[in-house]
Amino acid sequence: MSPLPPFGRLLIANRGEIAIRIIRACRELGISPIAVHSDVDGDALHVRAADQSERIGPAAAAESYLSIEAVIDAARRSGVEAVHPGYGFLSENPAFARAVEDAGLVFVGPSAAVLEALGNKLAARRSAAEAGVPIVPGTTVALGDDTGPVEEIGFPVMLKAAAGGGGRGMRRVDAAKDLRLAMDSARREALAAFGDGTIYVERMIAPARHVEVQLLGDRHGSLAVLGERDCSVQRRHQKLVEETPSPAVSPKLRTALFESARRVAATVDFHNAATVEFLIDGDGNHYFLEMNTRLQVEHGVTELVTGLDIVAWQIRVAAGEALTADVLEASSRGHAIEFRLYAENPYDDFRPTAGRVTAWRMPDGPGVRVDAGVDYGTELRPEYDPLLAKVLVHAGDRPAALARMRRALDETRVGGLETDAGFLRWLVDDSAFASGDYDTSLIASRWVHGPALTDEEASLASAAAVATRMEGTTERPAAVPETGSNWGRLARREALRR
Amino acid sequence: MTDYEVRIGGERRNPAAGWTLVWDDRAQGIGRLVNGTASVPVVVEGDGSDWVVTLNGRRISVNVLTRRERLLADSASVERTQAGPTIVKATLPGLIVTVTVEVGDEVAEGATLLTIEAMKMQNEVRAPRAGKVIEVTVAAGQVVATGASLLRLD
Repeated sequence: MSPLPPFGRLLIANRGEIAIRIIRACRELGISPIAVHSDVDGDALHVRAADQSERIGPAAAAESYLSIEAVIDAARRSGVEAVHPGYGFLSENPAFARAVEDAGLVFVGPSAAVLEALGNKLAARRSAAEAGVPIVPGTTVALGDDTGPVEEIGFPVMLKAAAGGGGRGMRRVDAAKDLRLAMDSARREALAAFGDGTIYVERMIAPARHVEVQLLGDRHGSLAVLGERDCSVQRRHQKLVEETPSPAVSPKLRTALFESARRVAATVDFHNAATVEFLIDGDGNHYFLEMNTRLQVEHGVTELVTGLDIVAWQIRVAAGEALTADVLEASSRGHAIEFRLYAENPYDDFRPTAGRVTAWRMPDGPGVRVDAGVDYGTELRPEYDPLLAKVLVHAGDRPAALARMRRALDETRVGGLETDAGFLRWLVDDSAFASGDYDTSLIASRWVHGPALTDEEASLASAAAVATRMEGTTERPAAVPETGSNWGRLARREALRR
Repeated sequence: MTDYEVRIGGERRNPAAGWTLVWDDRAQGIGRLVNGTASVPVVVEGDGSDWVVTLNGRRISVNVLTRRERLLADSASVERTQAGPTIVKATLPGLIVTVTVEVGDEVAEGATLLTIEAMKMQNEVRAPRAGKVIEVTVAAGQVVATGASLLRLD
């Protein structure tokens, strides 16, 4: 570690688990972490973990965590030297990166020019192809009204937004007759989400694995390739579970992926953590999807197998430090899996839910890491991402990591709101996932809406409920678990106070 | 246990015999069902007749009814089916983006009433049955919690 802290104070322009993760890195580097919060986050975990927090506006993200003006004001007020954007929110916004630089501060991320170049997925596709990296067959120019280019590729196809991300503006089209309608709605969605309705088309790769390569670059031209992550367990084109190494990647494919990732990275002048994402088809061919020059949600699995602190290194390279030999020659040990605990109902299309956390116990013990953004009593806000916590396990090999994941899930206890824990507990014993031979269709084809409640589960749940009710007739629990609407809860709490 | 009738999703269920509930943390409802050497982790929340038991990560709504409550519940559901307006409630929390209907509109079953944006998704709220809109309790731009009433159908 460097003898002097890279910065005196650093502003974390985010909330939830990732803000806490960055605060932890700051503590270890000797940096004073400064948080930001909206009106409803004044007492949030990330605020309590920081040395100080600046209010940046009302609950709506657009007026607080997404407001460049408010965040820059907070940075000026608190006298920080650097700003870490985390992931999501302003992390890939070139205007924000520029505003941070214009304020005379260091942006923990790439330059605005790099964000602009990579933010346009279509332009990124072109530069990857020019660098000799295979891209998914399709158009490299914007799709006009002419459906000819799409029909040439052959169905099924994926329509994608040039300014895309997070699955928005994305449409699968199976037949020519559905094309026109899908193009219109993809354009509308892209325009609403990104202010840019430009779309392009790619051939549908199915079955496919979604694999990404973790990179770390410094300001001195060094680039570390820190292994791959398999992110094929997805719903709504968004990741739920990630593991490294990927069970689908052979040593030969790994070499090819790393080479492609290096080539894509060389098309831009970047210094930061970054990932290059690929699809892998059934024959082991890989195709470039996109490059993200920010911290990924799932960075932790790479940290577990390499022993490196990616967040600390992001901050150190932002301060101008050079990557050391132990980073550039890092090797991996064992197998790591991350599962994301979301406030979502997996039995109802993973629909987001909200509420108050009335029970919260996270797993512990050997090889288990928890990055949580909530705690017992937290009221989950509908304005923000429903990620509750990331649970990561590390073990000597994949079977041992699966056993550890099962044990960790059995120790995980959450009450008060719907979570995807039921899906995760099913996944660990699913034969496709357990064998490692699965693809991005796993949830749609194997889980669907989840298995029906078994008689055994029903009778055990009944026994637990009856036992609690019978006991409750003589002794009330210390904190009455609450059900129903937020307004109902509030009214009940008011009533109890009187 | 004979005093209680248990229903899950409206269906009668028999509590598993021989299992004892042991609390790890009573205040949070974190415990284990124990039967000899077998142990099943559970989270229990609720009160009165409405309980939720989390088992293997799955939340299961369980009604535990006394005879008196059973009779009341049965008569209430009969009343509801006979007459009276239907209150359409939010099934997820979020921001009301658009309200498609106005007071006085006749809507068909399945017609879009309004759109709620939650996290990254736009969700259409549809009419559970045909009827006339007699009250709209929310407006575009408003944030609603799960269970909040949105409008009433006559």
